Amino acid sequence: MELCFDVKNLNLWYGEKQALTNINMAIESNAVTAFIGPSGCGKSTFLRCLDRMNDLIEGCRISGAIIHQGIDIFSKAQDIVDLRTKVGMVFQKPNPFPMSVYDNIAYGPRCQGLKDRKKLDEIVINSLKGVALYDEVKDRLHDSALGLSGGQQQRLCIARAIAMSPEVILMDEPTSALDPISTNKIEDLILELKKDYTIVIVTHNMQQAARISDYTAFFLLGEVVEMDKTDVIFNTPHDKRTENYITGRFG
Amino acid sequence: MQIDNRCVKRNKLLDRIFSWLFLAMAVLSASFIVVIILFVFIKGISPFLPGYEYGQVDLLAFLTGTVYRQDQGVYGVGFIVINTLIASFLALLLSFPISVLTALFIAKIAPKHLATGMQSVVELLASVPSVVYGVFAAGVITKIVDALATSFGYVTYGGSSLLAVILLLAIMIFPTLTSMSITAIRAVSPDIEQASLALGATKTQTNFKVVLTAAKSGIFAGAILGLGRAYGEATAVAMVAGNKLFGPTFNPFDITRTLTSTMLVGLKETTGLDYDIRFSVGLVLIVVIFVSNAILNAVKKRIGNQV
Repeated sequence: MELCFDVKNLNLWYGEKQALTNINMAIESNAVTAFIGPSGCGKSTFLRCLDRMNDLIEGCRISGAIIHQGIDIFSKAQDIVDLRTKVGMVFQKPNPFPMSVYDNIAYGPRCQGLKDRKKLDEIVINSLKGVALYDEVKDRLHDSALGLSGGQQQRLCIARAIAMSPEVILMDEPTSALDPISTNKIEDLILELKKDYTIVIVTHNMQQAARISDYTAFFLLGEVVEMDKTDVIFNTPHDKRTENYITGRFG
Repeated sequence: MQIDNRCVKRNKLLDRIFSWLFLAMAVLSASFIVVIILFVFIKGISPFLPGYEYGQVDLLAFLTGTVYRQDQGVYGVGFIVINTLIASFLALLLSFPISVLTALFIAKIAPKHLATGMQSVVELLASVPSVVYGVFAAGVITKIVDALATSFGYVTYGGSSLLAVILLLAIMIFPTLTSMSITAIRAVSPDIEQASLALGATKTQTNFKVVLTAAKSGIFAGAILGLGRAYGEATAVAMVAGNKLFGPTFNPFDITRTLTSTMLVGLKETTGLDYDIRFSVGLVLIVVIFVSNAILNAVKKRIGNQV
């Protein structure tokens, strides 16, 4: 078993308010790890630590370490652009750029200086095929991405992340704005992507966590109550609070 | 709950009265524009009609003429239209990059207090009366242009020149264009900015490739407004344009003449054809603005659809 992220004693404050307390977690490579927990429990905040998106928030302070490939991602040795090219992110609301489908996917590689038209074509087509979107949009690659349906847009956003050939894809409630059919497609896609990528997903939907994840972490009030193999969490949780949450007694 | 029928009736009546009132106000304000254009049209068209009291003017010669001399009674505005277009477009071209980059700095890059301060300055600039810009141009810009011309071996008429008009208009467009751009940039959803950063793009790449792309429609609308201001500015322009009698003027150090300055200069000291013809010039200006706005709006639509 290979570790993708090794999180050590992570604390995070927004101003005076502590949002994450003493998180220790090992996230395995080429597996799906799901974060569950009630709203405001810190699971999204923690997810955003993994590609340092919290850097954008004013007044956010972090202590502790997240080791990725032998380097603490908060240390000076870690280049943030480099980190974000290796760790992709898919957001809650589909957020395609107001550009064509093609330009959306070519955006990341282009920002890294790739100009070769053939290479870009190849990346765009492979990424779209990777999210099973190619057949649906192959005739309108140069039309605006905003014309796609919500589910298509979200798959486009995943394709956009894949285009960078990252090692990890972080997903922040990627299906919460989608209808059940689109949700299904994305869940199938996640199981497919697991072969090549490490996936960390935040979800409000416990059935979703049970269906697609190998590991599940239960967050409560900024702490990790319990993390284990998904079937252990859902069948024989060790902590009473986990049991209460997954059986729907609170949250 | 008991419903009072009289109250319901009264509310319905009030609704009707107010919707009529709003309609009346809308018609009133719309009719101002119609009345103004109609008045200018009737006054402006009269010199070209047969039986005009100071002698009928040939419309084609007026529209295509390259000489405008009151003393000889020769009125041609063709070259003045070209002068106006040149001065306005070059001013926009000069102002555009400065305004957009300033807006980007204020909206995205500057620390909060600096951004607030700079935005107030921009808003203040928008409220400075044009005659104040005019005296500034007459006192400062003309001196700079004159010095510049001397270094190139040209002699100017005290600095009054096409270049002075362009610089003046560029400064006058700047606040409009900058405020509109700030609004457009601020309206860009932070979601797509985050998406860009999460893909490993730098802040600068994000600003130029995503934020400006998403804001371009609003920025373009600002450019249209700015151009309208450049076309229509009379007072300040008349203070530095000079009164070239023929043209068009292509030499930046030569004096020029715009539609607005032609209308304004000496309006109160003249009568007869020379007075009436200014309404014709005004009519030409209205047409120029309409046509140019129509073209720019068509371009804007295409740009907007491209996304």
